[in-house]
Amino acid sequence: MIRTPLRPLARILSARARGENPDAIERENLHQRHEEMRDRLRLRAEGRLLVMSVLFLCAFSVVGARMGLLAASEAVEPRAAASGASILAQRADITDRNGRILATNLSTYSLYAHPQQMIEPERVASALVEIFPDLKRDRLIKDFTGNRKFMWIRRKLSPEQRQAVHDIGDPGLLFGPREMRLYPNGRLAAHVLGGAGFGREGVHSAEVIGVAGVEKAFDGWLRDPANDGAPLALSIDLTLQTAMRQVLLGGMRLMNAKGAAGVLMDVHTGEVLAMTSLPDFDPNDRPRPLTEGDASDSPLFNRAVQGVYELGSTFKIFTAAQAMEMNLARPDTLVDANAPLRWGKHTIHEYQRKNYGPLLSLTDVIVKSSNVGTGNMALKIGAKAQRDFLDRLGVFDPLPLELVEAPGARPLTPANWSEIVAITATYGHGFSTSPTHLAAAYASLLNGGTLVRPTLLRQGRVAPGPRIVRPEVSRASAEMLRQVVVRGTASMGEVPGYAVGGKTGTADKVRTRGRGYYKDKNINTFASVFPADDPKYVLVVTLDEPSDNSGEKPRRTAGWTAVPVAAEVIRRTAPLLGLRPQIAPAPASGILLARE
Amino acid sequence: MSYLEYNVKTVPTGPAKILHMNWPLVVLLIAVASVGFLMLYSVAGGDLSRWAEPQMKRFAIGLVIMFVVAMVPIWFWRNMAGIAFGGSLVLLVAVEVVGTTGMGAQRWIDLGFMRLQPSELTKITLVMILAAYYDWLDVRKVSRPLWVLIPLVLILVPTMLVLAQPDLGTAILLVAGGGIVMFLAGVSWWYFVAVIGAGVGLVSAVFTSRGTSWQLLKDYQYRRIDTFLDPSSDPLGAGYHITQSKIALGSGGWTGRGFMQGTQSRLNFLPEKQTDFIFTTLAEEFGFLGAFSLLVLYALIIFFCVVSAMTNKDRFGALLTLGVAATFFLFFAVNMSMVMGLAPVVGVPLPLVSYGGSAMLVLMGAFGLAQSAHVHRPRTR
Repeated sequence: MIRTPLRPLARILSARARGENPDAIERENLHQRHEEMRDRLRLRAEGRLLVMSVLFLCAFSVVGARMGLLAASEAVEPRAAASGASILAQRADITDRNGRILATNLSTYSLYAHPQQMIEPERVASALVEIFPDLKRDRLIKDFTGNRKFMWIRRKLSPEQRQAVHDIGDPGLLFGPREMRLYPNGRLAAHVLGGAGFGREGVHSAEVIGVAGVEKAFDGWLRDPANDGAPLALSIDLTLQTAMRQVLLGGMRLMNAKGAAGVLMDVHTGEVLAMTSLPDFDPNDRPRPLTEGDASDSPLFNRAVQGVYELGSTFKIFTAAQAMEMNLARPDTLVDANAPLRWGKHTIHEYQRKNYGPLLSLTDVIVKSSNVGTGNMALKIGAKAQRDFLDRLGVFDPLPLELVEAPGARPLTPANWSEIVAITATYGHGFSTSPTHLAAAYASLLNGGTLVRPTLLRQGRVAPGPRIVRPEVSRASAEMLRQVVVRGTASMGEVPGYAVGGKTGTADKVRTRGRGYYKDKNINTFASVFPADDPKYVLVVTLDEPSDNSGEKPRRTAGWTAVPVAAEVIRRTAPLLGLRPQIAPAPASGILLARE
Repeated sequence: MSYLEYNVKTVPTGPAKILHMNWPLVVLLIAVASVGFLMLYSVAGGDLSRWAEPQMKRFAIGLVIMFVVAMVPIWFWRNMAGIAFGGSLVLLVAVEVVGTTGMGAQRWIDLGFMRLQPSELTKITLVMILAAYYDWLDVRKVSRPLWVLIPLVLILVPTMLVLAQPDLGTAILLVAGGGIVMFLAGVSWWYFVAVIGAGVGLVSAVFTSRGTSWQLLKDYQYRRIDTFLDPSSDPLGAGYHITQSKIALGSGGWTGRGFMQGTQSRLNFLPEKQTDFIFTTLAEEFGFLGAFSLLVLYALIIFFCVVSAMTNKDRFGALLTLGVAATFFLFFAVNMSMVMGLAPVVGVPLPLVSYGGSAMLVLMGAFGLAQSAHVHRPRTR
């Protein structure tokens, strides 16, 4: 920067010559220099100010534009409630086959405390004890005045309780929304539904997780938000379930039984329309599992699925069917029934050591429930073939039912399927299965002879499974079962108009301690089918230790206990199933003619 | 280049000073404050005595303070700058010791008749000391590292004290306000480029480190950032304010629901509705039109301050006026951005409108300084 001198010599000299004050020149130059400097400064300052102003303007524009944008936006209602709902309504409902609610969710509130924010801990404690008498006042005061920042008081509140707590009016008491599982039908289908409990718990919501039954088996599905709240439709029919439970409850009392189980199944689809196990429980308030004693005595025990019993003579029909399937016999073939049957060191007696022999038709073997007759058939069939046949019916596999309990209930089968096992197996001794196994096997045999897979989910059309027996064998088996009711051991099973067929089974209970069987403790089963001329439904009713005391001495056979109960179930459910009562048709041969 | 080089006699004296004040600015301030009264009246549900009346009284006191400060010659204030800044620092330290805890943060000193918030005071004294510093400093030295370091220390010391309270909003305003004064004083561009570059680098480092082993912030801190970026992801938690205020703005539409008709604020969806979030009430009841009008009023205040500074040949006066304007600008820009979801919620009031004592009094005092600079500006002969 070239600086102009403040006192240029030439001008000073000339000014002096003119007699002027040379200081004026200096002052003027100094002033000029200051002016220049200030102008530079000003220019720079103005540049900076311009930049700043542009930035300010940008900020104004952004804020203004945002205002406009928001003003133009749709006013959305507060999302708090909506999003809260999506957090809460996570678990899908469970319905019966007609969409009626079996399990749903209820919004309630939990109660928790922030003791640090509590104003009058003692008054709050007293007031809380009045609302919830089971709380201890001293304990509450101790908790409220301690160092705790947070504590749960109640997991679920009723609306009245909530209002009462609200009226205490202390800021340290807080409510959290809480979803709980509700089973509006109470004990109905309790074992199928199982139950639910709380998983991880937070203040704003808690996880509801299935702990048993369908709730646990489908826990992932029920909680999957991808299903968009679609309910889980079971195969259970609420009405049938109600009817069956009522009848079984009454029958159990009447027969002095300690437990009962019933399974009603569609023979074509394998859908379980009703499933009851008594005693039962309220899934809204699931009892704790027994800590001692026999787990099968707990109401939580599902006798229809978990109970594996020796189901007795109900299995005889399978021997007869296999004999017909293998063309070893026809319904009228005469079979050696000369009692007792000796095989090696074993002697097989008939019930009460009767003798139906020397010869019985195959139908009469079933009708009279002859152990010797079926034993002889089993020997003709051969142990291995018999075992394979039962295996194909699925009675040795874990139950493929959609319950968490199902796979755990494995049928008990002897390791070595010898001839004597084959003989006893014909009348259901020596191996154990559940009533649902039995129902599925009956359905497979009687629906025309194709295997069905038992299910608890509502099905549409079900493709027939692999063939078990020929259709005519299936029909003949149904006719034999019908004869059991008409003139055999299950004569109390007759329900006018519905052509019930079925087979009784009375099995001595296996001793829980030691070997062998109890003499006076039975498992009585009636496996029935209706209508027998065109099988549609299978019903298995099992009574645990029943005893009909109406006569002179206690009667413990299935014909006196399980059969009348099952008949009552059919009497009640058949109209609900849409079956019209009809006059008993002519024997099956007539139908064959008519159809062909 | 000091004021004393000019002829003091060209400056008005005595009662005539009143006539030479920046009257448009006074009118604008009263207009903005009136909007505040209206909103406080509405938010209280038509109750004058709850918030509007105390606010009016405080504004009246603020006006008196402004006039008194304006009458005192600007060179007195320049000489006072050091003492004022030192005093506010002492108060900031004192607040740590004797301050009462309000809303979980130590911010107030109870003076008996009012609660003084030293951090508010510091915003203005910082601008004063910086303006005085650059007035004193030879213009040719402003960009030399040593002379840049001194104002940096002046800014960072109160910022640290405020952060310790903790009050992030005020800390940001202090740094931004001080930075603007430095920028206007002519500090080289490169310093600002470097600082902004470092800031951007730090932010990107924070984000890229997320989820890695050298993660710079705690998880919950990242969640807060997430909430800022998408408030609806946590509508009941930290994002609650923003979501609710956005709804209020949206429901206001272009012309609003009408005076006293806002639902969001009336139905208590918004806590703190009379302080930091009062803008939502305005936007809901008077719509875009009302909100934008307030924005225009604010812009006009800034505009008159800038014009006053540009016509002021005194460096201290000009820088002080611009510093006050910048602080004022930062106040409402940050508040509005925060309410509209453009910035995270940091707790900055809407100047002259939000309910609150010390912020308003300090701001009115600051405008008094700007008025004093305007009245006592050097006039050319």
